[in-house]
Amino acid sequence: MLGKLLKYEIKATARVFLPLLAVLLVFAGINRLVSSLSQNPRQAPAIISMLLYITILVGILVMTLVVMIQRFYKNLLSDEGYLMFTLPAKTWKHIVSKLLIAMLWTAVSGIAAMISIFIIFDEKIFNVRLMQIITSSIEEFFRIFGTSSGLVILEFLLICIISLASKVLLVYASIALGHLFNRHRILASLGAFIILNTVSLIFIVITGMIPASMNFSADVNSMNDISAFVMQPSFQFFIWYNIIISGLLSTGYFVLTNYILNKRLNLE
Amino acid sequence: MSIILECKGITKTFGDKRALSDINLQIEQGRIVGLLGPNGSGKTTLIKLINELLTPTAGEIRVAGMRPGIETKKLVSYLPEKTYLNDWMRVHQIIELFMDFYNDFKPEKAYDMLKRLNINPNDRLKTMSRGTREKVQLILVMSREAKLYLLDEPIGGVDPAARDYILETIISNYQEDATIIISTHLISDVEKILDHIVFINNGQLVLSSSVDEIRNEKGKSVDALFREVFKC
Repeated sequence: MLGKLLKYEIKATARVFLPLLAVLLVFAGINRLVSSLSQNPRQAPAIISMLLYITILVGILVMTLVVMIQRFYKNLLSDEGYLMFTLPAKTWKHIVSKLLIAMLWTAVSGIAAMISIFIIFDEKIFNVRLMQIITSSIEEFFRIFGTSSGLVILEFLLICIISLASKVLLVYASIALGHLFNRHRILASLGAFIILNTVSLIFIVITGMIPASMNFSADVNSMNDISAFVMQPSFQFFIWYNIIISGLLSTGYFVLTNYILNKRLNLE
Repeated sequence: MSIILECKGITKTFGDKRALSDINLQIEQGRIVGLLGPNGSGKTTLIKLINELLTPTAGEIRVAGMRPGIETKKLVSYLPEKTYLNDWMRVHQIIELFMDFYNDFKPEKAYDMLKRLNINPNDRLKTMSRGTREKVQLILVMSREAKLYLLDEPIGGVDPAARDYILETIISNYQEDATIIISTHLISDVEKILDHIVFINNGQLVLSSSVDEIRNEKGKSVDALFREVFKC
C-alpha cells in the first residue's frame, strides 16, 4: 500500500516540479548563450536573463516549501482527506509517503540547481584548473581519512537526511496541531510551528549540555590533523549524539502527527 | 440475517457540543436503510464515525463484527457530502486510483455509467460543474462491490431528473447481500426504495424500524411519519 501511495504522491507533485525544473535548466542555457554572445557581461540582456534565472531558482526553493505544505494540508486535511482517509491504508503510510516525496523533491531541486550553475558557468569557472582542484580535493579527502572515509561520508549523509526529515516533520506536526482547532486553523498552525520550534530548540540546548561538557583536542594545524580531530572518540560521540537527538525529535513529531490524524481527525 | 453494522452506546462530543448521544443501532445485511433527520441532527457525524474519519467519545462501532480500520475500509464504500476529488486528475485517472486501492472496484461498471451519463473519461475534474463531479463520485462509489454503502446526501445537489437516475443507479448496482445506508432529508424522493428507516434528531435515536412495520402498524407513509415526529 505504501508503494501505491508513493506512486500517486509522485504523480501529484511531478506535474508541478518537472516543468519548473525544465524551465530552470532552459533559462540556465539561455543565460549561457546570452553571455557568450555579448562582449560585455554588464549589458542589459545578460543582466535580465540572469535576473530571470535567479528568480526561477528562488521560485523553486519557495515551491518545494509550498508544495510540501500544500500536499499535506490539502490532500489530507481538506475535502480530499475524505478520500485519502477512507482508502484502506494506515495513517502512518500517508505521512511517510508525503515525507519521502517531499525529501525527494528537495534533493532533486538541489541537484538541478547545481546542474544549472554548471551550465551557466561551464567554461568560465569549470575549466581544467578547477576540475583538477576538485579531483585533487577528493583524492586528498580519501588520503586524509583513509579507511574511515566511508564512515565520514555516511555520517555526513545521515546528518543531511535526518535534519531534512526533522524539518519536514516539524511542519507536518504543526499543521496537524493547527487542525485541532475548530477555527482559524492556518493561524493556529503557524502558532503551533513557533511553539513547537521553540520547544525543540530548548530540548536541543538542554540535551546539548552533555556533549558540550566534553573536551575536544582541538589543535588543528595542518590538513592531516583534521582526520585526527574528526575521528577522535569525543568528536565521533558528538556527531552520533546529534544524529540521535535529531532522530528523537523527528520521531516525536511523527508520533504526534500520527496520533492527531488517527484519533483527533476532524475534517470540515 | 447477519448484522453488518452495530453501534453500541455511541457518543460524540465536539468541545461542549454533543453531536451524538448514546446511539444504539443494529443494521442487518441486505437492507436499504434511510438515515433520516433534520439538518444538524448528527447524520453526517454518525457516518463519519463508521468511516473512522472521527473517533467516538464513548461507545463502540462494529462493521461486519470489526472495529473501523483497514479491514472495514475494504468493505465500506463511502460517498461523502463533500466533493473529495482533486482538481488536477482526469476521470480515467481517478478510476485507475480506485482500481489500485480497492480490490472490489469494477472499472467496466464505471465506464458504462459514465457513458450513460455522457461524461467523458478524459475530462479533467477541474472543468466539471459541481453536479457532474457529484455524479462522478457516485459512479466511483457504486462501481465497487462493497458490503456496506454509506451515501451521505447522494441526491442533495442534483436536479430532480438526475435524482431518479441516481436512485436507479444505486438500486441496480448493489449485490443482494450488500447494505446501503442513505442519509438524506429529501424523504419523499427516497421513500419508495427504502426497506428500513432510522430517525435521528438532536443526536439521539428516535426510531429504527422497517418500512413495512410503519405502513402496516401506523398506517402512514415514512414522509408523513417524519413530518409528525419532527414537527416544528
